[in-house]
Amino acid sequence: MARRFLLAIAAVPAAFSTALAQTADPGRAAASPRVDYALTNVRIVTAPGKVIERGTVVTRDGRIVAVGANVAIPAGVVRLDLAGHTVFPGLIDAATSIGLPSPTRALPAAADAAGAPGRGGAGGGGGAPQGGRGAPLGRPSSPQPPVVLPELDADAEAADMFAPTDDELKAFRAGGVTAVGLVFQGGLFPGRVGAALTGMRDGSRLSLRTGVGQDVAFGTKRGGYPGTGIGSVAFIRQAFLDAQYEARADKAFKAGIPGARPSNDPFQRSLMSAATNGIASWFVASTEREITRVAEISTELALKNPVVVGSQEGWRAIGALKRSGATALVSLRWPSPDSTTGRAFLAVGSGLSGVAPTSTTADTNEVRANASVLVKAGIPVALASYGGESGTTFRDRIRLTIAAGMSPDDALRATTITPATLLGINAAVGTIEIGKLANFVIVSGNDLFAAGVPIKHVFVDGRLY
Amino acid sequence: MRILRILNTLSLALLCVPGVVAAQDLAIRNATLITIANGDVQAGTIVVRGGKITAVGANVTIPAGMRVIDGTGKFVMPGIIDAHSHAALEGGINEGAESVTPEVQVQLKNDDPVVYRALAGGVTAALLLHGSANTIGGQSRVIKMRWGQPVDSMYFKGAFRIVKFALGENVTRASSTAPADERRFPMSRMGVEFTVNYWFQKAKEYDQEWKDYREAVKKAPTTMMPRRDLRLEALTDILHGDLKVHSHSYRADEILMLIRVADENGFKVHTFQHVLEGYKVADEMAKHGAMASTFADSWAYKAEAWDAIPYNMALMSERGVVVSVNSDSDERIRRLYQEAGVGVRYGKMSVNEALKMVTLNPAKQLGIDKMVGTLETGKDGDIAVFSAHPFAPDAMVEYTIIDGKVLFDRSLANTLRKTVTTQNPGGTH
Repeated sequence: MARRFLLAIAAVPAAFSTALAQTADPGRAAASPRVDYALTNVRIVTAPGKVIERGTVVTRDGRIVAVGANVAIPAGVVRLDLAGHTVFPGLIDAATSIGLPSPTRALPAAADAAGAPGRGGAGGGGGAPQGGRGAPLGRPSSPQPPVVLPELDADAEAADMFAPTDDELKAFRAGGVTAVGLVFQGGLFPGRVGAALTGMRDGSRLSLRTGVGQDVAFGTKRGGYPGTGIGSVAFIRQAFLDAQYEARADKAFKAGIPGARPSNDPFQRSLMSAATNGIASWFVASTEREITRVAEISTELALKNPVVVGSQEGWRAIGALKRSGATALVSLRWPSPDSTTGRAFLAVGSGLSGVAPTSTTADTNEVRANASVLVKAGIPVALASYGGESGTTFRDRIRLTIAAGMSPDDALRATTITPATLLGINAAVGTIEIGKLANFVIVSGNDLFAAGVPIKHVFVDGRLY
Repeated sequence: MRILRILNTLSLALLCVPGVVAAQDLAIRNATLITIANGDVQAGTIVVRGGKITAVGANVTIPAGMRVIDGTGKFVMPGIIDAHSHAALEGGINEGAESVTPEVQVQLKNDDPVVYRALAGGVTAALLLHGSANTIGGQSRVIKMRWGQPVDSMYFKGAFRIVKFALGENVTRASSTAPADERRFPMSRMGVEFTVNYWFQKAKEYDQEWKDYREAVKKAPTTMMPRRDLRLEALTDILHGDLKVHSHSYRADEILMLIRVADENGFKVHTFQHVLEGYKVADEMAKHGAMASTFADSWAYKAEAWDAIPYNMALMSERGVVVSVNSDSDERIRRLYQEAGVGVRYGKMSVNEALKMVTLNPAKQLGIDKMVGTLETGKDGDIAVFSAHPFAPDAMVEYTIIDGKVLFDRSLANTLRKTVTTQNPGGTH
């Protein structure tokens, strides 16, 4: 492998100009070596609404070192004449679980057999004789090794666990996606949100940031409480309360308050930062009712600026999103209009079976206009592929989101600056500015999201794909 | 823009001035009014303004300009209230992984078509309960059937907070199909009694911990606040009377058991649900202050329902228990008025007392009797309009009105009758 890689490096300078002349394949597997580039004669969108009509971008060691209309091109860089093309900041898919393990994955056989209740003591007082499964009343329990259930592994870092295949990385890049927010799918407190690049793993580290936010989902715990959606709400509230209590006890203990002693319970401690607004809580919530529930929980527990991952019915819950100061991380995996909340309201009076009228183009547009309606309502919006395919599908859906009413600048903002800020990586990515990583998407013409216009080149971390 | 704003302010002001009719104000004239509170009024008129009943009686002048429904030949009664339903819920009905979960609350599914079907049966409010898998189950929701509204608009403001308890078979067999080592305590009636006692003991200790804290913090402001435990907090709410107990029950012995345990622990069983053997222990229930919400007739559909009799409602009422008849079913919820009629046939209840079982009495059990349950001035405009007396075999609901808004109108609904007539105009049926 290493040997093949070295050969590739040697071959590149000679083959380079020819390669560029050929059909672009930004998703191609073989990464170019990191060389320094000058993108010349190119239209540059440095940020939404900020355009240099004809200029140059210079990269060195994977970073942007010069941007402008009149830039001196240093010696020794590879020049790409991109006349007739536009370079945009590399897109960011604000949330995906591609490349992450599932929080509902099976436990290793040994741990499963132990039947340990695992971590996550939210709920009523311990030692209760109601005998949660595996601890029947009156039966002495022998010490068991602690098992951390993936659905309650609140310390797990998505960025550390991000292990996409080469094909998955290729697919991201094929849609111009150069960085991703990593959010688990399923569980209750499955870990922390992270951010990563979509370059090749050989020789470059993908992880950009860990500990971005605390992932919270209305899932269940295997073989115990909570076993239902209604139980998960109570469990989540208790878990945050316990973590807030742990933080207070910790502080009081350090201050020498008599009687104060933290529990040092690992689960409670893992949620302390989120519970005290050190990091944001990222709630996975799609429907009107789920989003409303997030608003209720955040208000009750004083969780500031929650992130609502999914937000597919956000347009039906604008009040809840505003009340809680939430950022809507809008998944473009749209629900079927027939399955959205309130569809049944149309059914009565129109049929005996309670079947709503067949959805129309207007209904489809209503679902697709979600992100645009939220932007107009003044809610911070980042776009994501969460729950669906990223890459070209994501880019296609951004185009359809624009068709449904979002301005192209807002769409670019929702796929660059807003997610970069949300993920805490805005110092490194999100715009074309000196010092930031050389993450670019390049298309012919002016329109990044135009139908039928393939992506010409993608740069991730200074590498050309 | 500014003019618009002034106009808006003006129109808002106009809405508040008595004498000016608003869009949803309405009157029903020349109908038989079954007021529940003050007998029936022949050829009466009822006026609803701003969502509230403003006039009921024989000699009522209808303010000009409001919608008037001709009630000739029709019967108008308070909106029907179902004190036991599991309709319109999502996220599960039983958090059965543990047997004590009063911190859990049911979640309303506002677009469940059952809400509309209930409206078609004249139902305007309901208690949506947690299931009966747990000794102490989750908290319930009292809702108005405001079809088409967001979730939080359906909550019945000012109603009791209610928690579900359960006794007998459902609790003890909840995990009976699980492997032996995964079964959940309690698995016997003895265990159920112990569980209630055990948890209220814990709740009292928790309550005391907070009381001690509140005293201590006065003297030493840095005193560490105790840990908040949502489960024990809910149980102390029961002890303080802020959270009302509605307990699933069938047999007389388990009813007596819970009354005794409640008395010993210092809480009240507010209402017994199902309570099929309530007629055997009605005096004890009345003495404890418990109400009863039962089925019209559900004999022997399982072992603990063996002694159920249709006279139950009448017998409990005679002994001073406030009785409602409930549906516990997405189907029966549409015809609760017929269920109430069973009390007239079995036990010779008066028609008014029988109708109370689906209006004022469930309202008392849900803590909404100051707002609904009778046709009286000042109460909410929650009304059902029937084509005939609700106990008549062919009676149908023609309008269901909540807060003065017509939410069901049979003339606009696509009913079976209309479909059959359209598809088979000359046919016999």
